Parts: sequence; structure tokens; C-alpha cells
Amino acid sequence: MGERVKKSAAKQPARNRDRVSARRGSGARVRSIAPWRYWTMVVALFSLGVLALSHIAGLQVLPDVHQGFEFLQSQGKSRMLRTVAIPAYRGVITDRRGEPLAISTPVVSICANPQLLALDGDKLAMLARRLKLRVGDLKARIARYRNKEFMYLARQLTPPQAQAVLDLNIVGIFKREEYKRYYPAGEVAAQLVGFTGIDDRGQEGMELAFDSWLYGATGSKRVLKDRKGRVIKELQLIKSEKPGGNLALSIDLRLQYIAYRELKAAMKKFRAKSGSVVVLDVLTGEVLAMVNQPSFNPNDRSRLKVGSTRNRALTDLLEPGSVMKPLTMVAALESGKFHPNTVIDTSPGYLRIGRKTFVDHRNYGKLDLSGILAKSSQVGTTKIAMKLEPEAIRGVFDRVGLGQSPGTGFPGESAGLLPSKRRWRDVERATMAFGYGLAVTPLQLASAYAVLANDGIKKQASLLKISAAEGVLPGPEEQVIDKKIVASVRQMMKAVIGKEGTGTRAAIDTYEVAGKTGTSHKVGAGGYQQDRYVGLFAGMAPADKPRLVTVVVIDDPRGKDYYGGLVAAPVFAKVTAEALRLMSVAPLKAPEPKLVKGSTVKRGGDS
Amino acid sequence: MSTAKINAPAAGFPALALFDNFWQPKPRQYIDRYLLVAVLALVSVGLLMIMSASISFADHQYNDGFFFTKRHLMYLLIASSAALVVLQISMRWWYEHAGLIVIVGALALTLVLIPGLGHSVNGSRRWFKLGMFTLQVSELAKVCMIFFVAAYLQRHQLRLQDSWHSFAIPLAVLGVFAFLLLLEPDFGSTVVLSATVLAMLFLAGVRLWQFLGLMAVGIAGVAVLALTSEYRFRRLVTFLDPWAQQFGDGYQLTQSLIAFGRGEWFGVGLGNSVQKLFYLPEAHTDFVFAILAEEFGLIGVLLVMALFSLMIARILIIARKAVQRQDWFSAYVVFGIGILLAGQVFINIGVTSGLLPTKGLTLPFISYGGSSLLVCAVMIALVLRVGIEMDDMAALAKRTGKTKRRAAS
Repeated sequence: MGERVKKSAAKQPARNRDRVSARRGSGARVRSIAPWRYWTMVVALFSLGVLALSHIAGLQVLPDVHQGFEFLQSQGKSRMLRTVAIPAYRGVITDRRGEPLAISTPVVSICANPQLLALDGDKLAMLARRLKLRVGDLKARIARYRNKEFMYLARQLTPPQAQAVLDLNIVGIFKREEYKRYYPAGEVAAQLVGFTGIDDRGQEGMELAFDSWLYGATGSKRVLKDRKGRVIKELQLIKSEKPGGNLALSIDLRLQYIAYRELKAAMKKFRAKSGSVVVLDVLTGEVLAMVNQPSFNPNDRSRLKVGSTRNRALTDLLEPGSVMKPLTMVAALESGKFHPNTVIDTSPGYLRIGRKTFVDHRNYGKLDLSGILAKSSQVGTTKIAMKLEPEAIRGVFDRVGLGQSPGTGFPGESAGLLPSKRRWRDVERATMAFGYGLAVTPLQLASAYAVLANDGIKKQASLLKISAAEGVLPGPEEQVIDKKIVASVRQMMKAVIGKEGTGTRAAIDTYEVAGKTGTSHKVGAGGYQQDRYVGLFAGMAPADKPRLVTVVVIDDPRGKDYYGGLVAAPVFAKVTAEALRLMSVAPLKAPEPKLVKGSTVKRGGDS
Repeated sequence: MSTAKINAPAAGFPALALFDNFWQPKPRQYIDRYLLVAVLALVSVGLLMIMSASISFADHQYNDGFFFTKRHLMYLLIASSAALVVLQISMRWWYEHAGLIVIVGALALTLVLIPGLGHSVNGSRRWFKLGMFTLQVSELAKVCMIFFVAAYLQRHQLRLQDSWHSFAIPLAVLGVFAFLLLLEPDFGSTVVLSATVLAMLFLAGVRLWQFLGLMAVGIAGVAVLALTSEYRFRRLVTFLDPWAQQFGDGYQLTQSLIAFGRGEWFGVGLGNSVQKLFYLPEAHTDFVFAILAEEFGLIGVLLVMALFSLMIARILIIARKAVQRQDWFSAYVVFGIGILLAGQVFINIGVTSGLLPTKGLTLPFISYGGSSLLVCAVMIALVLRVGIEMDDMAALAKRTGKTKRRAAS
């Protein structure tokens, strides 16, 4: 080109120069653009293009480039790909009839990426209002998480509540779907069912005991997220979630309600500190009701009191006292030294063993074995114990399962204490005979009574509904006491409820009842406390062919009544009566005439 | 220069003197078709990429996914109307009013700095608000400067090699523009404008040692600017290793790089970019090329760069035609426009791909933005006008040559 320019300039030099100098005031030289300058420019411009292109090729396709496309893609993945958990639906806990005790409901948590939140005053105020937070608090919280990429703004809102927040359409706010546990039975079965934490994992009770079964397995998936945390694309399922299994408990919610109602009423009436009721199905060992006081509302645990979450019926130890006497009678009959009709003279109403004196309320005189049970005579019981082998009574206790774990799998269940001794002192033999010097849980006590109720066959207590279809099989059973001996003792226990007995208030109009009262001193800092008691009643009905064993524990009644026969026996009667009716157990007594007459009389007597 | 272009002055109507040589339509058949096709193709790619890159952002921000697309279509209409007008204006008119134009340019750059008049975004005061549109003054200033330097070289090219004085004048005007641009601040425009003026001076025949000295001064100036401002220095450090600050200052660049990396050969496909989903800020404006690289891969990059190369090549060819016709003003205008566009393309692509520091420059014809599109269209119209004038002249020369020969024979 340059040459051509030169040529053309050379062709008409004079004319060009004249015109240029004339019009544009140029100098006298030949005007041109030097070719090397032109081509330098062209080459420079296009080499810039080549430079950019080779650089981009290094970013996009060339392998093994420092921070090349492999590196960039992995960086991109770490920013955009996320593994998200797919929450598994937690299994439902029901009672034995399928009534729900714990169900999971979908809730929505509101999360935020604080680095993306740019809130002006209006938006912030609106957000705070919909989250039901104070503006200042919300601001402070967001500020605290300023350097993080994730924070919760509100956990477990109902879907409409959450939608109201999401509708604000604020950058950096997104939702996370979760499940929340809801407990329809509330405080009635609170300690037994337990509860889950905010992470949907069991923290207490059956929720904890069978957590992995109920929880199932969380799934996970790879997703592509945009910068606002919204899922753009689900890339692959890494693991599909496995919904948790359902769990049918052995309790009957109707019975549970009754037991709870009666226990609560008794607690109030006798100003007791705590209490438990356990109802066992004699034939299967299933727990039909297990209630405790004080209780709590598992749906709102914001004001949880220490101790109210404890399933006392399974975890708390108590010295059973006189309720053990029927088992002492078992030992007496087994020894062959005693018959149901053996008469023992309990005069003068006290007995000195070593340095201790055991006292009856009054001098009962001569009593047969039923009489000793009915009056709960310390002297009579001690006299029997003195004639038995030292290990005999402990042996019976051991055979019915005391001092051993009940094996329900409930977290924190206690095995109780049944001391074993090489040499028994007389005092120890005597106190063991009337239920001191050992510790049991209410459930253990019920299980022990169930052996008496079930013709001497020991069954394992179960908190789950026994059902072959569901794979829940009954535990091992064992004949631990002779059938005839058990029948005799049951006959003796009827006398406790009789006119002369300590447990008249346990009587039920339509069914015969066998049972035993107990009132034991509580152990305090300085040994047994004279004025602190545990009132108990353990019994079964119908007496001749028992279906249910019910144990009632009223701990530390602060009113004027504290005897087991006064505080615990009425609860037993009401719970057992309604339970038998619900279970359609045929009344053994002819109900009609006595019901009308007897009930009016009894009610009069009660009040 | 052909005598055909000399018009009689509009004597007796001084008010109309401004429009002497103004409206001179020329035959359309001389229009440079390759340049036109290249630019139209780039504009189409731009429209497509703006639509793709902005749809989520627009939907989120304005509840209308096509908010930016619609506006860009409107800008296209305005820009092409402006280009059609410019196409009718003779180069002579621009030449005669170059002095006025540069004064208007400097005035506009000054006025935009006044808070009431200039509109500020992200701390840079660069825009005039005109109703619903904004006008970025630095874009206009670049063209003004090119007109001035071209006109100056037309008059003083031959003296350029001899006297410092004639060399210093364009540099002084550039200095004023650069100063005003840095006050906005608009560092990117300053660099690209300075480079353009320097390249024009280089073509005009500035002595090599003078030119190299000037370049050294320019580079030193840039270095001083970069090192004296903490903000610019940090940006420079970030550019050198964006991954060290990948969630701080380096965030935008690393996201842009990730977009390139995800593209590979053929891209993730139109509309499938993930970086545009709020990861990459300014995905439809300054960083639209990264989204293009992600969605269409290196093949798409190659295609777009081929279109730009075609555009620049045709501009240089038209410039050469003007040189052959010894229409120096037109030649320098076209050179200036070619260098400016090439520089802007290179800087934008270099910035998005992490080859260069600084930012704030749009990618001609592809990025969203009315001012950029308007000015680019006007520049291409100027180039096309020069091409038409040159071919027209050549045709005329041929005809007169023929008649002369016929007369002679």
C-alpha cells in the first residue's frame, strides 16, 4: 500500500502538494503513513486477539494448565454443588389400638445466607414482624453470623407462617423443609413416649429407645444451587431416604388416660410429691398403662421442670415395704413349715429381734396367714421369717425378677437392688420379709405381682405391643412358683380387701380383687424418716383368674392420710375397675343388686 | 481529495453555516457489506446473550424476565436511527467542526462531574439522565477525541516529526480528557482513549524514540495511578491472584473464570449458564462475554472473536482506502475508531478472562448498555460513510479518467 501511496504521490507531486499546502496549510513534505507503521499496527491489533484467544483456550480446553478448566470446574462445583439431606419421615408411635402418640408433621425452617442479606429498614422491620422477632434482636443475630454462609432465622414454622416470610422475596432467604414431632396424648403418656430434639432424633423415652428404628435413614442428593440457595437442578440421588418404622406401644391410651386422671386427682388430694401407676396385662406381660406425676407437655417444652420427664415407674427406686408380704407368704408355704391355716400368735403386738423392736398397730392376737396379710402384721411376718431358711425369702424375690433388669429396653430403666448376703443377721431376715432392705421400681413390683397373678409363671414385661405379625414376640417365660402355692396366696390377698383388711378401699363392686397395701418410710439423710412415707397398693383382679395387675405408688403424701390403703388403694380400684370393663372381662360377682346397694353405702363411706 | 466534495458556502445565511456540507446522502451500493454483516451478527449475538444472561436477574429485580432485553431492543432502535443519520453526514462537515466537537466533549465531561447534573452509580459519576435513559459521557468523549486528533493530524501531520510544540498539543488535549475521565472516575476509558490517541500519533509518524518515551510515560502514569490509590492497588493485587481473595475482592473475577472453565469446547448450551444465576455480578453488562464463554464454549468465543476480527479488518481496509485517496482526516478517524474498538474488545475480553486488571468497559455491540451501543453504532456509521465516500470518489475518478482518455484519444 505504502508503495502505491508513494507512487500516486510521485505521479502528481506538484498538484497535490499545492492543493494540500493551499487548503490545509501543510508543510512541503510528502504526506504518507509509513507502511511499517501501518503493518505494525495491524500486527499489534491482531496479536492482541491471538493473545486473548490463547489465554481463553487455556481457561477452557487446554489440559494441565495452571488453574485451567479442571481447576475452575472444581471451584465452580464447590460453590454451586451441594449435597442436601432428604429428611426421612419419622415413624409414628401409636398405642396398642393404633391411636397416635407421636406423629411427624411437616414444618418449614427459614434459613438465610447472611452474606447475601442486604436489608434496609423497611424490609428488616417487615421480616422481623413476620418472624415474630424484635427488629433489634434480628439485626443483632444477622450481625453475629455476618461471616457465615448459613444461619437459621426461625426453626419449625408452620407452612403458612413460613410462606408469609418467603413471600417477602428477600435475597438470601430460603427455606428448609423439616418434620416436627407432635404428641397428641400430651402429658398423659409424656414420660413413656418421650420426645425428640429439634434435629428429629429421640432424646427421651421410647423416642430414644427405638430412635434408629423410628428415624429410618436420611437420604441425600446432589443439587445445583443458584447463589440465593435455591435448587436449580437435582443432579443425582446419592442415597434415597428410608422412612422410619412405626412403633405400636403396649399401652392402651384409654387406660392410660384413666390411670393418669386418677393418679393426678390423688396427687392433688393427698398433696403428694410424685406418683406412678403401672397396669400390666397378666397374660402377656404387656404394660397397658404407665403414668407418672408430675408430668409435662411434650409439645411445649419451654417451661420444662426438672424431674417431670423421668419415667418414674421404670427408673425410680423405692423400698416396697409391706407389699412384699405376699411373696414372703410364698416362701413360707414353699418351706412346708406353714399352711394357709397355720395360726401364729402375734401377742403382745411387738417383737424384739436383736436391738430392734417390731411393732404392730395393736395387739392382733392369734392370726392365720391371711390374717397376717390382711392386718399387715409385722410381728406375724417376722415370726414366719425367723422360721425360714435365711435365703428363702430372697430366693422368692429373686425368682420373680427383683434386682434384675426388666429388659424393656427403656433408657434409664433400673434393675433395682436385691442385696445378696453370705450371712444373714436376724434383723435383716425380718426386714427383708416385710420389704425393707431392697429397692424396686414400680414396674418390677407389678411384674412380681404378675407372677402371683399368672399361676407362678414369670413373663417379661413389654412396652411394645406383642404381635407376631409385627415381629414383636413375647419374652421368655418361666414357671418360678408352684401354681397351688400362688393360688393360696391369692386367696390370702383377697382378705386384705376384706372387711378386716387394710385395703378395703381397693374393692371393686363387680370384680373380686386380691392385693396388698404398703406404707414404707422414706429414706432421708439420717436414715428412715418418721414422717415421710410412700403409700403403695399392688393388686390384681379378678382375684380368681386375674387379668390385670395394677401397682399404684403415691410418693410423699403431705396430707394427714399417707397409708397405702388410704392414698393408693382408691386409685387402684378406679383404674382397675374401668380397665376390666374396657377389656370386657366378665364380672364374677352378680352385679345388679349389690351394685345399687353397695355402691351407695361405699360412696358414703368413702367421703 | 476530490474537488467533487467542495460545496459552495451558504453565503448570506450565517446561522446555517454550521450545517454547510452536513447532509450529503451518498449512493448506498458502496456500503461495505462485510463490515455491516459482521456488526449485525455481533448485535444479534449481543441481543441473544443479554436475553440469556439477564433473564433471571431481571425477573428477580423487576418481575419481568425480559426487562433488559426490551430496553436493549429500544437502544438498538435508537442506535440504528442515529447510525442512519450519521451515514448521511459528510466527513468534511465533521472535519470542519472538529474543534467545536472537542470543546463540546470537554464541556460534557466537565458538566457530568457536577453533582446535580451528573448521575452517579457505584461511586462513579459518569451519566447524564435523559428521561428514562442515561447517557455515559465517556463513550461520547472518546469519539470527540478521535475527531479532534484526526483533524489535528490532517493539518499538522508533517510538522509532527519536527517540533515538540505540534506534538504536545494533542497530548495536552488528551491530558485534559484523561484528567476529567479520572475525576469521574473512569480508569478503563482513560486507558483505552490514551492508547487510541498514542496509536494514531504512532501512525502519523511520531519519531520512534519519542513514541517509546511517550509510552513509557503513559505506562509510568498508569503505574503511579494504580499504586497511589489504595482501591486501584487492591484491584491490581486481586487481579494477580483472584483466588487468594476469592470471596472478597476477587469474587467477581473468580466467578467469571469459573464460567470460562465450565464452557470447555462447546459450552453448556444456551440458557444453561449457572454463573448468571446471581453468582456473577454484572453478567449482562461488563461480564457478558463470560456467560457467552460458558454457554457456547471456546467455539462460541472463536466465532465472536472471528466476527470482531472481520469487523476490525474491514475497518482497517477502509482506512487504507482513505489513505490511498489521501483523505487523511477520514483515514485517521477510521484508524482511531478501529483501534478504539479493537482496544475495547481486547480489554473487555482480557478483563473477563483475567488477563488484564481494571474493569468498567463494555464489550462493543454485545454488552447491555445504551450509550455504548449508540456510540459504537455511530462509529461504525462513520466508518461506513468513509467507505462510501472513498468508493464514490474512486468511481468518479474512473469516470473522469475515462472521459479524459476518451477526450484525449
